[in-house]
Amino acid sequence: MMTNDLRFNLPDGHDENQFVHHLADQYTIKKEPFFAQKVTIYDTFDWRLFNKSFILQSSGNRLFLRKLTKSEILHSVEFSRAPVFIWDFPAGELKDKLQPIIKMRALMKLVDLKSRSRPYRILNPDEKTVARLIFEEIQPFANKRKPASAVHLWLKPVKGYPKYASKLAKSLKEAGLTIGTEKEFFLKVLPSAGKQPGSYSAKVDIQLDPAMRSDQAAKVVSRFLLNVMRINEAIFEKDLDTEVLHDYRVAVRRTRSALSQIKYVFPAKTTDRFKKNFAYVGKLSNDLRDLDVYMLSQDAYKAMLPAVLRDDIDPLFGHLREKRAKAFKQVARGLKSKKYAKIMKDWETFLNMPPPDSATAPNAELPVVDLACRRIYKKFRGVVKTGSKILVNTEDKMLHVLRIECKKLRYLMEFFASLFPRKKMNALIGQLKRLQDNLGDFNDLCVQQKYLLRVAAALPGNRQQQKKTLVAIGSLVETLDRKKDTVKDAFATRFAEFASPENQALFKRLFNSHPSKGGA
Amino acid sequence: MTTLAIYSNKGGVGKTAAAVNLSYLAAQTGFKTLICDLDPQGSATYYFRVKPKLKSGPKGFVKGVKGVYQSVKGTDFDNLDMLPADFSLRKLDVLYSRFGNSKKRLKKMLRPFANEYRFIILDCPVTIGILAENILNAADFTLVPLIPTTLSVRTYKQLLSFCKKNNYDVTKIYSFFSMVDRHKKMHKELMVTVSKVFKGVLRSFVPYLAQIEKMGIYRAPVAVYSPTSLAAQSYQNLWDKIQKTILYPQ
Repeated sequence: MMTNDLRFNLPDGHDENQFVHHLADQYTIKKEPFFAQKVTIYDTFDWRLFNKSFILQSSGNRLFLRKLTKSEILHSVEFSRAPVFIWDFPAGELKDKLQPIIKMRALMKLVDLKSRSRPYRILNPDEKTVARLIFEEIQPFANKRKPASAVHLWLKPVKGYPKYASKLAKSLKEAGLTIGTEKEFFLKVLPSAGKQPGSYSAKVDIQLDPAMRSDQAAKVVSRFLLNVMRINEAIFEKDLDTEVLHDYRVAVRRTRSALSQIKYVFPAKTTDRFKKNFAYVGKLSNDLRDLDVYMLSQDAYKAMLPAVLRDDIDPLFGHLREKRAKAFKQVARGLKSKKYAKIMKDWETFLNMPPPDSATAPNAELPVVDLACRRIYKKFRGVVKTGSKILVNTEDKMLHVLRIECKKLRYLMEFFASLFPRKKMNALIGQLKRLQDNLGDFNDLCVQQKYLLRVAAALPGNRQQQKKTLVAIGSLVETLDRKKDTVKDAFATRFAEFASPENQALFKRLFNSHPSKGGA
Repeated sequence: MTTLAIYSNKGGVGKTAAAVNLSYLAAQTGFKTLICDLDPQGSATYYFRVKPKLKSGPKGFVKGVKGVYQSVKGTDFDNLDMLPADFSLRKLDVLYSRFGNSKKRLKKMLRPFANEYRFIILDCPVTIGILAENILNAADFTLVPLIPTTLSVRTYKQLLSFCKKNNYDVTKIYSFFSMVDRHKKMHKELMVTVSKVFKGVLRSFVPYLAQIEKMGIYRAPVAVYSPTSLAAQSYQNLWDKIQKTILYPQ
């Protein structure tokens, strides 16, 4: 029984009339008016909707959310100006659905298409429609001279009349047509507009061979990260959303981590030089990232305040917004500077150099799987040790140290994930992530508190206004303090989960049962 | 899912015409819509050229068996499906009273549709018995077509007092004027008075028009065979009003 829409690919030079004529021998067919519409497809820079198998598209004054594998509309909403951020959407089901997927990322127009359709209805003796056939041509909207990038024939069954659709499908197949999917279509139309679905993701996805030399593996990891930096650096000036800088910075941080954690694979001098260089590169955008974080949590800050103080905090955000604009320009200048260009060029050249014949560092020729095991296991034990100390004596400083240790462990596990069983790695990384979230929350609260106190001293405006804003800031600082305590309380549980005997055993089994052992 | 019942305890007020046209307009907004023809006469079913047959018989409505869900038919229009009528639905009142929890059976039967449909529109027969209570329980909102005549208004009053007495939320009951003859002074006057006296009267009405009666000939919603007519326009206005006042109030 047929219940889903079928999309048949039409061969080049097909004859619509001939198809219809052929079918008219067996069915009553009614031609419907031709219609054309502009269809715009949206996604975030890192393809968040596509990765979750969704298509967000607009035609006319409505936005539609569809599943990549089906053609029915899941949610739809009217709009006057195309929304860019989740907060531009009107409250409702579509917003609720998109929120956890796109989060703070901006939606971009991927492509404008023109769809031209000629529908036909198949009728039963009551002249009731029992199936539909639609010839559809899709072409890039702007370039009408370009030939259609997709031509296909839709067979749409009408619910409750599956036999008609099955019979039609059979005769279309007999006529030599093949079935295409929405995904196939998406993957066909977007490249015609110069877009490759899924072409960018900030997620570390590196395939390594266990027997690979460690210095080469370190270069593979670094080249991947360099590519992420390059992609985001290229679009930085568009100021799309805060994630461009964030992804860029994470790649920088991972590079620094790779340099220091994948130990003794490059000559010490080289490692030191690039470590310094990337410390400089990271620093370039520290201020801007901090400001981005404050602006992103504007609503959360406001919600923390008692209602009477809520508007009094606005001058603070006005002030921060101005600072952000300045910081943004500064970063843009930094990324265009000669010094930056040289750092990146040197790094690229180094990464593309062929491997030296003789080992230049103690671990350079070690099979990467051995080095990975050693480094991960050592880092893991370090984390457990530091965490256990905190359980006895919870000092803010130690939580900070542990947070950094966890980050290093996480990066190592992600760099080398392909060398170990995927399911187990995912589970371990997931558990580590929960611990990191706790530590990250705590750190964010500390940083925000400090920053608020610092900024309070430098607020512009007249004195009366200032006083009110200062009261609001004071209230925020207090709320943050309370939140810190809550997060701290949760630490013990998170850590106990992570350092559980089962987890320790699993770490040991995965990373410490390898035949060759030795200190790294 | 929002369930909208087009209901009246008086006959011949334009329920089916409203249900057919409104369900068509709802589907046109892109949302999946289901029209349920609860009337054994099956007029809505006829308008959509569907065979009046339920695979489950009326029992499907009482027990929500598989057959009732398999009886859904696609109409000629995008996003609009129909649960057709069946002559045996005339026994519905009696059947409902035979089973426990007799007033919420319809609501329960409709629940599985929630995943698939954004709107369900019930075309109801004239009733004020157990079926009426099933309808009031199943519907998120009830929409009563009102002819601006004394008798029609009187029946409406009866309905409201019935609801109050049986603890149905009257704020979820809305009405609109139907089959309005704009040349009749009395129609005009009554419309003004009724709008003042009752709450939930939508400021949009459907005139008495030959174009609407022609639905029986064309077997389609008005907007399909006469898109620019006053009749099509008045249903569109009514649907706009329903969206603004009832479905998406600001």
